[in-house]
Amino acid sequence: MRIYVTGYGVISSIGENVEETLLALRSEKTGIKQGKKTYSEHFKVGEIGWTNTELVQRFDLTQEASRTAILGMIAAKEAFKGHALNSDIRTGLISGTSVGGMDVSEIAYKDFLNGETDDLSIYKNHPSGTTSEQIAKELEIDAYVNTISTACSSAVNAIMLGARMLLSGQLDRVVVGGTDGLSQFTISGFRSLMIFDEEWCRPFDETRKGINLGEGAGFLVLETEETIKRSGKQPLAILSGWGNASDAYHQTASSPEGFGATLAMKSALKVAGLDPSDIDYINAHGTATPNNDLSESHGIKTVFGSTIPPFSSTKSYTGHTLAASGGIEAVFGILALNKGILLPNLNFKQAIEETGLVPVKNYSEGNTIKHILSNSFGFGGNNSTIILSAI
Amino acid sequence: MYFIQHIESITHQDSFQKDNIWNDLKPLTGENELISPDYKNYIPVAALRRLSTILRMGITASKACQEKVANEFDSISVGTALGCLTDTEKFLVTINTVSGDILSPTAFIQSTHNTISGQISLDLKNHAYNMTHTQNALSFEVALKDGLLCIDEGKNSVLVGAADEAIPFLERLRGSLIETEHPFTSGATFLVLSGEKGNSIACIQACEVYFTNENKATQVEQFLAANNCSFQDLDLILEAGSDFKSQAKKHYSFLKYSGFYQSASAFAVHMANDWLIKNGDDKTILIVNNLESNKLGLTLIHRNDVEA
Repeated sequence: MRIYVTGYGVISSIGENVEETLLALRSEKTGIKQGKKTYSEHFKVGEIGWTNTELVQRFDLTQEASRTAILGMIAAKEAFKGHALNSDIRTGLISGTSVGGMDVSEIAYKDFLNGETDDLSIYKNHPSGTTSEQIAKELEIDAYVNTISTACSSAVNAIMLGARMLLSGQLDRVVVGGTDGLSQFTISGFRSLMIFDEEWCRPFDETRKGINLGEGAGFLVLETEETIKRSGKQPLAILSGWGNASDAYHQTASSPEGFGATLAMKSALKVAGLDPSDIDYINAHGTATPNNDLSESHGIKTVFGSTIPPFSSTKSYTGHTLAASGGIEAVFGILALNKGILLPNLNFKQAIEETGLVPVKNYSEGNTIKHILSNSFGFGGNNSTIILSAI
Repeated sequence: MYFIQHIESITHQDSFQKDNIWNDLKPLTGENELISPDYKNYIPVAALRRLSTILRMGITASKACQEKVANEFDSISVGTALGCLTDTEKFLVTINTVSGDILSPTAFIQSTHNTISGQISLDLKNHAYNMTHTQNALSFEVALKDGLLCIDEGKNSVLVGAADEAIPFLERLRGSLIETEHPFTSGATFLVLSGEKGNSIACIQACEVYFTNENKATQVEQFLAANNCSFQDLDLILEAGSDFKSQAKKHYSFLKYSGFYQSASAFAVHMANDWLIKNGDDKTILIVNNLESNKLGLTLIHRNDVEA
């Protein structure tokens, strides 16, 4: 049975919806700039330039919530637009997030630490699970709600779980993706790891130094073949493969040979029933840390051998949006499938000496692209891959 | 059917590596501390020092499970409602009090929810499917449903667990955000499920989650009907609250024994499994997780049929 994608929505520093996002991708315009908040001003980040209150107003949301929930609502609403709620179509929502409502709870907690009165009601927005419940409420979805929290692979894992629940007949339709709002907690966290690049990040470049953080959300609507007959929705793409595996190497670092990455890519290919040679484009995880990009390159080489398809990391457009990245990049993947786009790996100049791999350098449309493989790897060695295919 | 091959809990009860947890089970008072096993038996001392309670519990309970089953886990699915609160709070304090460029990353690294499942895979050198679910009071049930799905997909040694840890800060939210008369506690329960019976006594027949505000009694009735049984067939109801006490032959509020943490329904599975070991005539147990009023988790546990 096929799993179809029948809706998509995205918000990040390069655009507030799918249309704006496509324009930015086409113009090779990054959303990464010098940060504007007190905690981000020393770094280059992919920030969305509106406050939480402004976003609630601009997107006509019904709930005040954390940034993670708000961004999720915006992208999920776009994805679900035009989909009718119908009691015959059991609809669930699975969202990935790493920090949940931290952007608001950290402010209350700071008041508490300073001996000031903290507004206790703010903490209700903190649990990651609550962000998904708020997104589901905004869409009036209530057949099933779940939150995946596997750091930077969260959204891809949410997509994967959604597909498996459809296949098993537990749901007829599911909204899946991920969301993460920037917070002081996250920025300080990655600063403590000393993996920021003070310049624009350069995935797969020999001179890469680390990541630029970003924020955003990306969601898809998945339906079974049976559901499509009843919903009458036009499919945008097929979700044909998925895989998750554990690198089991180190708390934060990836194994040098990309063992977990290799397992995830291979199992996604197996589910899809495809050979590596069927893949026309790889949207790599490509965070631009020295460790990830080298490890992922080795993994790609192991899986694809000497014929490596065009690949790139789009983190230099959006920054690393953590739990949202797999959802945002799935939206990029669908655009790429439908318009034959090869997405450029901005800021790339010089191949990594050890691998010699050269990513896509320029934007182009009209290529023949039938199958796309998209990687997302998280802390703790959580490696995930999905494959999207053209209709 | 999803057979319970082994189950371990670390809680405020004497519940780790016990023949039967009912032997020592007592309602908790506010004075009961977490009963920690000798973690050194499972975690190298050097590593132990930097691990919070939730990580110690999760790693130890899952390693103790792995020791008891022949096969390596081919799926690991963990549920946690609030995740690694100790390290989250520690890092929040650090970023608000430590000036300068050098911050210790350990608390940050160990603050993410999937540190538990990630650390389990790392310690067991396990490369299998590895998932972390978090859905407030249904965190265990959504993790369990993933585990059951893994068995449906053909996996055969599936680790499912839940863990949460209490920090003093939670006490500030009592009465406003968290309504409970029970003490805040820490707890972890991990179980190994398989599609094959093996030496198991009991199995999980079904698990369902509900997010609507419909009448809970109706939802329970429909769930039971869908599984070909009714209240009359239930030998025991383990419930977070006591809404279904009048319909139960026997009834325990599991929070009285686990204390309050949002994934405590996992401990109720341990209570159910051991109840069936102890009470040879009883067959069917329903776990009602109505810890939060806007959602409901139902798990049906059944004694394995005896083969003729």
